[in-house]
Amino acid sequence: MLINENLIDMNLEADTKEEAIKKLAQMAYKEGRVNDIDRYVEAVLKREAEYSTSVGFGVAIPHGKTDAVNEPFLGFAKVKGIDWSAPDEKPVDLVFIIGVPEAQAGNEHLKILAKLSRRLMKDDFRQLLRQASSKKDILAAVQEAVA
Amino acid sequence: MKLLAVTACTTGIAHTYMAAEAIEEVAKKKGYEVKVETRGSIGVENELTPEDIQSADAILIASDMAVPMERFMGKKLLYVPISDAIKDAEGLVEQAFKAPVYKGDKKDLVDEVAEIKEKKASERRGVYKHLLNGVSFMIPFVVAGGITIALSFIFGYNAFQNEGTLAYYLKAIGDAAFGLMVPILAGYIAYSIADRPGLAPGMVGGLIAVNLNAGFLGGLAAGFLAGYIVYAIKKYIKLPKTLQGIMPVLIIPVLSSLSVGLIMYYVIGIPVAALNTAMNNFLTGLSGANAVVLGLIIGLMMAVDMGGPINKAAYAFGTGTLAAGTGSAVMAAVMAAGMTPPLGLALATALFKNKFTAAESEAGKAAWILGASFITEGAIPFAAADPLRVIPSIMVGSAVTGALSMLFNCTLSVPHGGIFVLFAVGNIPGYLVSIIAGTIVTTLLIGMLKKPVVEK
Repeated sequence: MLINENLIDMNLEADTKEEAIKKLAQMAYKEGRVNDIDRYVEAVLKREAEYSTSVGFGVAIPHGKTDAVNEPFLGFAKVKGIDWSAPDEKPVDLVFIIGVPEAQAGNEHLKILAKLSRRLMKDDFRQLLRQASSKKDILAAVQEAVA
Repeated sequence: MKLLAVTACTTGIAHTYMAAEAIEEVAKKKGYEVKVETRGSIGVENELTPEDIQSADAILIASDMAVPMERFMGKKLLYVPISDAIKDAEGLVEQAFKAPVYKGDKKDLVDEVAEIKEKKASERRGVYKHLLNGVSFMIPFVVAGGITIALSFIFGYNAFQNEGTLAYYLKAIGDAAFGLMVPILAGYIAYSIADRPGLAPGMVGGLIAVNLNAGFLGGLAAGFLAGYIVYAIKKYIKLPKTLQGIMPVLIIPVLSSLSVGLIMYYVIGIPVAALNTAMNNFLTGLSGANAVVLGLIIGLMMAVDMGGPINKAAYAFGTGTLAAGTGSAVMAAVMAAGMTPPLGLALATALFKNKFTAAESEAGKAAWILGASFITEGAIPFAAADPLRVIPSIMVGSAVTGALSMLFNCTLSVPHGGIFVLFAVGNIPGYLVSIIAGTIVTTLLIGMLKKPVVEK
């Protein structure tokens, strides 16, 4: 599975996007998805530097494609309104973090991430995520979105 | 109204699809017909067809990557960075219908072709690319050396033995070029893997392969060894900033040459020496065997490593059967089987042009002369570039030649010279038939086994 309950944080303490990314990377590291936190964070921040991965509507999807990732993963966290240089300048409260190995085996995971990305553009899906009060609800919403 | 869009982002994981979704949503809301091609990590999905493009009123490209553009010639087209499509899909959709018509221009097409070529070249990665690099640098040495040695035979097959004569110097020049052949092959394989620092250990390892009589197969081993060792040194040995300057001038050359050299001597050298002895014993034991079988085995041996230990053993065995004044059937089989590999490859380059690179086709022309002169090394560039397909082909061809030569009871009373020593052959028609038959077998096998070259 791309995502599980250990990759979800319903209340992540972070004041900056760098801090949020680092904490999410640690979460992925604990789950064995990332083998080198520093290198993974570096890849994500490098991508972030090209242009912000915030897509507006309070959502950001930092992501990195690097050898530091063992296995594709998706992490999720609710945060308290971080400035993410969003195109609509709104603070971000929903963060999906994505990691994909440089040489991925198969497209299955990428297809799921593509579907999720599309769903994130929909208001009803974002509402669902905001209203979710437990990790189970988040998992269910994500699974429904990519089904 | 019909809008077509193409989306692509650098990682191809998320934004490609978010932009596609945003564009689709806006267009549908406005009542436009819409189709979006996504070019992400998954590959190209929902690809626009010529019919789509034909019937479209505008094209919107939201991409940070190169997108094939030629197909949109004559359409209204707007090209923006992908982030714009996520920020303001609505505005862009409207703008697209007012965009200027895309005319394309020659430069774009040329750039695109260059880009495609570059992409193909980078796909031709790994072992094959390194081999081809080594081979392309080696070919001039093989041709120069082979032709010069052949020239010396014009003065008589053993004229070069008289020190100080022109024939002697021609042979010496040819030997010098041949001596560099394997070091250059190994050096430039390593260069391809590890860049400039790979050259020194590669060439050193290649020369050791020559000294060990390990032939070009030893050279291939040395080249890859050197390349990957340097690559590993560069990757894993990290010096403090102040000392980094000595990496390329001191650490890498010494450490890599030393490791390649020691591995060559201890790991490659010992088995090769053992192989030499074993081959000699094997052939001596075969002396009494059926002549045709012996010819077949000699043929296989002559072709398998072209100047390596097995070939040398067969050649030495052949010369050992020469007794002054009388012809030897074994020697005849050795020489005939040594001539067919370059001849078969020369014919193959002429018949199957699409299966060889431009450099190989050029080498093919010289291979005629090298083969005719019994310079088996003329086949090495082809074998080094594609060993698994070429070596079996030339082995079978040479085996046919060796067996036929024995069957026809051809004999030879001198140790070298190719067509220059036909006067010393007993049963010349049979000899020529043997050589031609093996050549054709080799050519046909190459034609069947070798794949068309994809580059260029």
